[in-house]
Amino acid sequence: MNSKTLFYIIKRIGLAILTVWVVITITFFVMHAIPGGPFVGEKAISASAQAALESKYGLDKPLMEQYGTYLKDIITRFDFGPSLKQRGRMVTDIIADGMKTSVKLGVISAFSALIVGVVLGSVAALRRNKLIDKIIMVFTTAFVSMPSFIIGSLMLALFSVKLQWLPANGTTSAGLILPIITLSLYPMAYITRLTRSSMLDVLGQDYIRTAKAKGVSAGKIIFGHALKNSLIPVITYFGPMLAYIVTGSLVVEQIYAVPGIGRAFVSSITNRDYPMVMGTTIVLAALIVVMNLISDILYKVVDPRINLE
Amino acid sequence: MKKILAFALAFVMVFSLVACGSGEQQPATKGENAGDASQPLAVCVGSEPDTIDPALNSAVDGATLLVHLFSGLAKWKQDDAGKFEIVPDAAKELVEGVANEDGTVTYTYTLRDGLKWSDGQPLKASDFVFAWNRAASAELGADYGYMFEIVDGYEEISEADDDGKPVNPDAKLNVEAPDDSTIVVTISNAVSYWNELLAFPVYFPVREDVVSNESWATDPATYVCNGAYTLDSWEHNSLITLKKNENFVDAAEITMDTIEFYLSDDANNQLSNFKNGTWQLIDDVPTNEIANLKTTYPDEFKITGQIGTYYVCWNVNEDILPAGSTLTGEEAEAARAEIRNAIALLFDRNYIVEEIGQAGQVPASSFVAMGMTNPDGTEFYKTAGDSKDFDGYYDVSKEAIEKNYDSAVETLKKYYKFDETSKKFTDFPTMTYLYNTSEGHKAIGEYLQSALSNIGITMNLENQEWATFLQTRKNGDYSIARNGWLADYNDPICFLDMWTTASGNNDVQFGKGDHAKVTGYSLDLTPYGLDTKVENGTWAETYDVLIAAIKACTDNETRYELMHYAEDILMSTGCIVPLYFYTDIYMISKDVDGFFSNPLGYKFFMYTTVK
Repeated sequence: MNSKTLFYIIKRIGLAILTVWVVITITFFVMHAIPGGPFVGEKAISASAQAALESKYGLDKPLMEQYGTYLKDIITRFDFGPSLKQRGRMVTDIIADGMKTSVKLGVISAFSALIVGVVLGSVAALRRNKLIDKIIMVFTTAFVSMPSFIIGSLMLALFSVKLQWLPANGTTSAGLILPIITLSLYPMAYITRLTRSSMLDVLGQDYIRTAKAKGVSAGKIIFGHALKNSLIPVITYFGPMLAYIVTGSLVVEQIYAVPGIGRAFVSSITNRDYPMVMGTTIVLAALIVVMNLISDILYKVVDPRINLE
Repeated sequence: MKKILAFALAFVMVFSLVACGSGEQQPATKGENAGDASQPLAVCVGSEPDTIDPALNSAVDGATLLVHLFSGLAKWKQDDAGKFEIVPDAAKELVEGVANEDGTVTYTYTLRDGLKWSDGQPLKASDFVFAWNRAASAELGADYGYMFEIVDGYEEISEADDDGKPVNPDAKLNVEAPDDSTIVVTISNAVSYWNELLAFPVYFPVREDVVSNESWATDPATYVCNGAYTLDSWEHNSLITLKKNENFVDAAEITMDTIEFYLSDDANNQLSNFKNGTWQLIDDVPTNEIANLKTTYPDEFKITGQIGTYYVCWNVNEDILPAGSTLTGEEAEAARAEIRNAIALLFDRNYIVEEIGQAGQVPASSFVAMGMTNPDGTEFYKTAGDSKDFDGYYDVSKEAIEKNYDSAVETLKKYYKFDETSKKFTDFPTMTYLYNTSEGHKAIGEYLQSALSNIGITMNLENQEWATFLQTRKNGDYSIARNGWLADYNDPICFLDMWTTASGNNDVQFGKGDHAKVTGYSLDLTPYGLDTKVENGTWAETYDVLIAAIKACTDNETRYELMHYAEDILMSTGCIVPLYFYTDIYMISKDVDGFFSNPLGYKFFMYTTVK
């Protein structure tokens, strides 16, 4: 790795930290600006109880002071504080619990999508305009356009209510099968289309023609030359996609009752559970930033022609 | 051919994903072990509870968990005829109180022998004393801290200065444990719901050394309880498993060994799990499925009473008189009350419950909910209001719709211009109806909107996200809003004391803002043997005084008469427009015997068996 690359990576990491800080700051102040509070419920609590709770959690202090304390706790102790709603639980623990499931779900979905997508995309490109290509294109177009709540609900009705092959709740390993399929269909279809067009592009290049002319076997051309080069756009897409799947699985988590981070995030906003809102926002933002960073760096590794500046 | 290929391809795609998906596949459980006594009961009563600390919980699903985990002095029981009663649990008997000279009443309870905590330590009377003081303290800030309001000493505990700081930080409830098995508690005055409070989760005991760990109620390892079950495992957001507590004194009566509480708040997901046989009870179904489920699952779909009222509330300070009205002060308020009461007559409650609610709700014509009973056992709502012809404050039968409509229009004509050709009012100010975002509330809002537009009143709809909505409504930043109230215990006072000036639940803003100066209310308590008589008083001088009198009243009959009186004053303002009394719907498998659900919505699974 040359010094230019190193400098680039350091610069990107610095930018990533800055991005997360901006997210923290905006979220913190916007969150406190919206009406309602963690201790405003349908049935009112007494003024003394309200005051006691606010002082216990430091909410009676000026906003700037709260902001300062919050940043200090994160930087010095990586402490997101206690949840205001789930009394007795720490935000870090709740997030860790949710992330365990969400990451498992997300990673399996992303890699399933990647493997199936690349295979189907290559097949479609190599059999361009044949029946199999057309079928693949019809299905991928359908999956790209169908929102996950429709696919999810349909699969729930078919596989767990009608056929009763798979459980409807995502609390067990078997229960994760349907959510994984639902989550991976869209990126799978997208990767298929990406691979297909990229592969077609590569197959038309001069060096492929040269290889063919030299008498290189079809297998070697495809796996040795075409596939590797046609994966560059897929790699750029993969990093953000993984982050998107992990963070954006809320709808799917809801449909299948999967105990992931998405549900915790949404309920924390409804509850005005400030530390939870902050904690989940930071973790999710960091995830996206890191994934983008990794895919940018990978991009460079796969294609040395790319100039990072 | 193409179709077959397409299908084949789809299957290959789906199963290739499954193959990479998971190693440990299990078939969906389908009650294969039918008849096995050790088969757990799988239910879903809600999503992840915020807390299962009995003092902090304020949710119905949390209470369901708590009645299985803890045992208070009293408990709910359903007899063979289906009637509910409160029976002794940890106490040997639910003794009668002894009246003191100052009007307070003292109860002396004796604990049963052999009571133990789930970790084997003996349960002591002092554990109750500690638990009650903890739950009532401002320091804990429990949602249900006010459930101890009736206990002598609570006033000192809850008293706060302007900054909300407690005035008497060391104050305690008047409850003592002279020895390990005796609890002596003094309450401010005799109330018929005292025994019911003893069965309420916030009155359950906790042990000081256990709860000194603030996270005690989040982890099975530190969760020490004294009820029929122990907390066996808690996979957050997914599953809570309860196992029979062998240290429980009545363990022999508990027929269900293991209960699995699945945690889901998605009604569609719950229904799917019920339909495929994975869960035997679900507490929620999608509203648009109700009509269908009633016919396809006639034996499983259940509707039970729930003590609560769905209503519309006006902001008392919202001026709805036509522009240019010369009325002021008491006269203006009296006119507004008449107008609001007339508008209440325009709504067809039968349409709302049959076409929108669809869950067996009962059209309401009074605020104190169905299910509340008078001392003689009759329904409180049936004796509300003056009319001999109908229950409550207006006739909500189908036959009365036209008559109500005509009478409302006649009343409104006194204040607004009526165009006889279009049959519409032309100068009623435009209003906005505020509700919290939900399809059901929206449908009701739209119905109310159309009913009003029939006579020329424009009402816009505005929805807000729940927490914002609560804040807006509490602050009184609305003209007319959706509202609902569920009882905490079977006594009408929990519907009435929320409307005192200082109450945190006084969304109508009675006695606040301009209304503080309106002297249009009268109160005469002389027929009840009290020397209070106010004419043309403010809300604080009348309603607040009446509620205080009810809370101090020691004669049960009189107390109920006074509560009817309070509801009369409340309803005369027209600010409360009851629409229907809530019901509770759930689905339960036909294979489950011995289940019951109480009027507060708690579900009891300990005596169930699964066929």
